[in-house]
Amino acid sequence: MDNTLKDQLLELEKRANDEIDAINDPSDLEPFRIKYLGKKGALTSLMKSLGTLSHEERPEAGKFANQIKVNLSRHFQDVKLSLEAGRGGDVAPMDVTLPGREPLYGHLHPITLVIKEVCLIFSRMGFRVVKGPNVELDYYNFEALNLPKDHPARDMQDTFYISQNVVLRTHTSPIQVRVMETQKPPVSVIAPGKVYRRDSDVSHTPMFHQVEGLLVDRDVSFGELKGTLTHFIHQMFGSDTRLRFRPSFFPFTEPSAEVDIRCVICGGKGCRTCSHTGWLEILGSGMVDPEVYGFVDYDPDGYSGFAFGMGIERIAMLKYGIDDIQLFFKNDMRFLNQF
Amino acid sequence: MKVSLNWLKEHVDISLSPEELGHVLTMAGLEVEGIEAVGQNLDHILAAKILEVTPHPNADRLSLCRVDTGTDIVQVVCGASNATEGVLAPLILPGGKLSDGTKMKEGRIRGEISKGMLLAEDEMGLTDDHAGIMILPESTTPGTPLSSLLPFPDWVFDVSITPNRPDCASVLGIAREISANTGKPLKSFEHGVDAKGPIIDGLTSVSIQDPDGCPRYAAAVVQDVCLKPAPFWMRYRLFQSGVRSISNLVDVSNYVMLEMGQPLHAFDYDRLGENRIEVRRAEKGEVFTTLDGVKRDLDPETLLICDGEKPVALAGIMGGLNSEIHEKTKNILVESAFFDPITIRRGSKRLGLSTEASYRFERGADIGGVISSLNRALYFINLLAGGVTAKGIMDNYSKPFTAPRISFRPEKANAVLGTSISKSAMKDYFHALEMKVVEDGNQDNLYVIPPTFRVDIKREVDLVEEVARLHGFDNIPVLSPRITPSEGSESPDLLLRDKVRTMMMAFGFSEIITYSFVSPDSVNALVGETPGALNAFTRIMNPLTVDQSVLRTSLIPGLMETARYNILHEMEDLKLFEWGKVFFDRENELQPLEKICLAGIILGVHTEKSWYNKKRPVDFYDVKGTLAVLLKGLGLEGFRFKQEKDLPGYDVSISSGIYCDDTRIGLVGFASPEVIEAYELKMGHVCLFELDVAAMLSALPEKKTFVPFGKFPAVHRDLSLVLDRRIECGVIMDIIKEEGRDLLESVHVFDLYEGERIDQSKKAISFKISFRSDRGTLDGEAVNGLYEAMVEKIGQKTGGKLREG
Ligand SMILES: [Zn+2]
Repeated sequence: MDNTLKDQLLELEKRANDEIDAINDPSDLEPFRIKYLGKKGALTSLMKSLGTLSHEERPEAGKFANQIKVNLSRHFQDVKLSLEAGRGGDVAPMDVTLPGREPLYGHLHPITLVIKEVCLIFSRMGFRVVKGPNVELDYYNFEALNLPKDHPARDMQDTFYISQNVVLRTHTSPIQVRVMETQKPPVSVIAPGKVYRRDSDVSHTPMFHQVEGLLVDRDVSFGELKGTLTHFIHQMFGSDTRLRFRPSFFPFTEPSAEVDIRCVICGGKGCRTCSHTGWLEILGSGMVDPEVYGFVDYDPDGYSGFAFGMGIERIAMLKYGIDDIQLFFKNDMRFLNQF
Repeated sequence: MKVSLNWLKEHVDISLSPEELGHVLTMAGLEVEGIEAVGQNLDHILAAKILEVTPHPNADRLSLCRVDTGTDIVQVVCGASNATEGVLAPLILPGGKLSDGTKMKEGRIRGEISKGMLLAEDEMGLTDDHAGIMILPESTTPGTPLSSLLPFPDWVFDVSITPNRPDCASVLGIAREISANTGKPLKSFEHGVDAKGPIIDGLTSVSIQDPDGCPRYAAAVVQDVCLKPAPFWMRYRLFQSGVRSISNLVDVSNYVMLEMGQPLHAFDYDRLGENRIEVRRAEKGEVFTTLDGVKRDLDPETLLICDGEKPVALAGIMGGLNSEIHEKTKNILVESAFFDPITIRRGSKRLGLSTEASYRFERGADIGGVISSLNRALYFINLLAGGVTAKGIMDNYSKPFTAPRISFRPEKANAVLGTSISKSAMKDYFHALEMKVVEDGNQDNLYVIPPTFRVDIKREVDLVEEVARLHGFDNIPVLSPRITPSEGSESPDLLLRDKVRTMMMAFGFSEIITYSFVSPDSVNALVGETPGALNAFTRIMNPLTVDQSVLRTSLIPGLMETARYNILHEMEDLKLFEWGKVFFDRENELQPLEKICLAGIILGVHTEKSWYNKKRPVDFYDVKGTLAVLLKGLGLEGFRFKQEKDLPGYDVSISSGIYCDDTRIGLVGFASPEVIEAYELKMGHVCLFELDVAAMLSALPEKKTFVPFGKFPAVHRDLSLVLDRRIECGVIMDIIKEEGRDLLESVHVFDLYEGERIDQSKKAISFKISFRSDRGTLDGEAVNGLYEAMVEKIGQKTGGKLREG
């Protein structure tokens, strides 16, 4: 590299540094910047002369000159900051511990959060979200679900009546019938909503939430029901969650299965939450009973499918460790603020 | 159903541990909800013989007993009247524990040493008997541990029985399931008796007038029975199953019902008019007093058991007081019948009377087990009450039952289950369940005939479930579903709901969920004296309380109630919203109109005092601004706020409708003083809003279209006016928009002044107006022209003038 240029650069740097260190008045800063670092400043003009160097020399010289420019600029900024802070050299940085201006942020109800999560898992699998009325005809809530008027299984659900043939829906299952009535297979839907039972004590509220699911297509098997719900539970509770399907009874499914997961509280050793069984009931499910197809004009030999339903409060209680179902409807801010 | 393990073991061999058995039952569909150990804690309890009883010197009701413990002679204090010399009874020694957990200690009772305690059955948790100490057989050797004297240890299983399996509401039924699932055969049991009495035909008759209601009625007669308490082992099992012990005869019928699943009833033979039985429907207005002493009005819904003169029992539900067995009963008639499930259910519902018997009959008893159950009862009656049994059983089987012959395709079963179970394995499952399998040469089809106790098996799919159960749900493969995307799209309100929730949360609002039912009084504070649309309640016929007796027509009461609750708990600055349905009763419609609403409340402090802010209470413009951003964010255009009076629940002077074109999509304003008072909140600064979701949806543009933005610079003008305080800002903005025509880009209110520097009746208001053209850079002159036109129009229409200086 051309030593003359190098010397010139070093000399310029020294002179500039001396000059800047002598500045005490902030108003002298700008003239200094223009003199050395400005578009027509001394450093800039020197750097322009790099163009006269040979191709071999140019990169190294360019690097050298640039380093000087960076150093000088940094030095200039330091001096500028310290002068602006009014105290030569000793700069008080921004107090980052002073609270920021925080926008208010609200909270969604835990029931909403769980319903959203459940629906998202099933939506990703290809289920569509549907809904139905809260005040339902006896026909949809019971009869078309293979629960005729004198069926003992009606005792399983204590019903609020609006009139002789109109009820507050006791489950989200009537939505199954409404969907099948208006749509031919294939059907794959998920239906969240409020349900009502005439039951109120420490572990029951007269209103709660369920999510219902239905899939009907050609040759759907119980194995696929197991696959679907296993996937759901692994997504919802973690992929190492153990689960089991055990025979049960619902008038509108046959075979019917209750789905239990290993107790999340005690890990299966037995505790109060799981009534010392080590298992927690999470879902009711089963293959859609052919009787139901009769009500919606589906061919029971051409199609098969499965349905399932779950209580959202229960899942929320397990997920968040809530021990009192009444909390969901008190809407205490000390509760809501935690979600 | 609660059942003792030892009882089950009488019917089937069980080599599993209680826990393993619990698992087998649960996985077979008989969910075990609990397993309770009984008589596990009988350490330190042994048989002791009372040698001598003397009065307690300091207590009239107590005695001192010298008892032989086999190794020692000790003194215990006892209060039981049946503690007499020579009797053997359980004695608990210090260190032992009673069933309630009390630990036994040596001590003094009213000054006398007691080295233990003689026990009654209930103190060991064996039965509920506390009439006296438990008397042990005379042959017992003193010192024998009690646990070796009784059939202990035992476990009581609490089995949840689904409505389709009435057969499992019995020891035998559960034993059958254990047998089918473990391969151990059922054991035979003692039944019947060597009948030495007269032939039954000469003693009674059974006539059935309603064979549909009562297809089968069997009766037996036993003479010269002896009524007394049942023995310990029977009382123990009844107690563990939750049935009270009454007397040997009543206990036998309950015991056999629990064991065989067949409800029985024993009548006092001599109290039956003409000693005969007749089954008929009740007549309207007929009155009958049941065993529980309640007089019941009957109608033809109820099936009656009558004698030659009068009703003596409600068929399948409960016996009558007039034919009940009592101390002097000598001869009995035992009923074992099958009643139509629907008849029993209707009768039981109609009378509001549900019993162990009606529970079983309405779900379906075993018509084929009527006689064997009766024979089982005769065996026990003979064993426990003696007497002479009449020869033969009167069996009126007026409507014989034909078991279904169900066509079953093994291949179909495998298709439904997703399995490949062989036909022969399926046949084995059916045989294990006592079903008959018939083949007619067709390889692909079987005929299956279920046993009479399986009333739930009627169709092929019912058999598929049996195959699945016995194969084990665990052994059915887990398959990935093939989901064909289904037709139809999601309801637009669902999409809107998610957006609204996210935005409200970002605006600092928290979501609440309140009950859909409210008190009919909840809208009183909103509507005032004259009922309005909000009073169109849908009423619940059977509410839990009057506070939850109608469906809500507004979300405001729930929000107000929640505000009150939180303020009581010292949370006074609230921003809440609820998205939910309200319900309006409709004439000539079975179901109410269900309308989705979004509503919210803000109250208290908007911003706390902080290093960068002054404290400020909430006001109308907080909620208005929130709604404006919400609506814009959702894509709504051209909505406006219009002052309105008489909005239910809102302050007359600070309330506004929100309009899109001519449709009102919502309300916003301060809560009225009546509402604030009704919920005991502090006056002022309670802001409410409500939006009708359907109206919002229909006001939304169908699709979003991109509008190219202007390439040319904007021109800004400030407009400061002084005008009458009553002139609404919106009026001025409308004029600005109108006069600005298509060059107007935006209007922004940047200052508002009311105060001493201007006339009291006036206000000063300043706008920043932006103009832009998409055709070219605006020329200042053109803009000035528009500006002047605006000023002139404002002057004409409102009297507003440019503010000087
Ligand atoms: Zn547990």
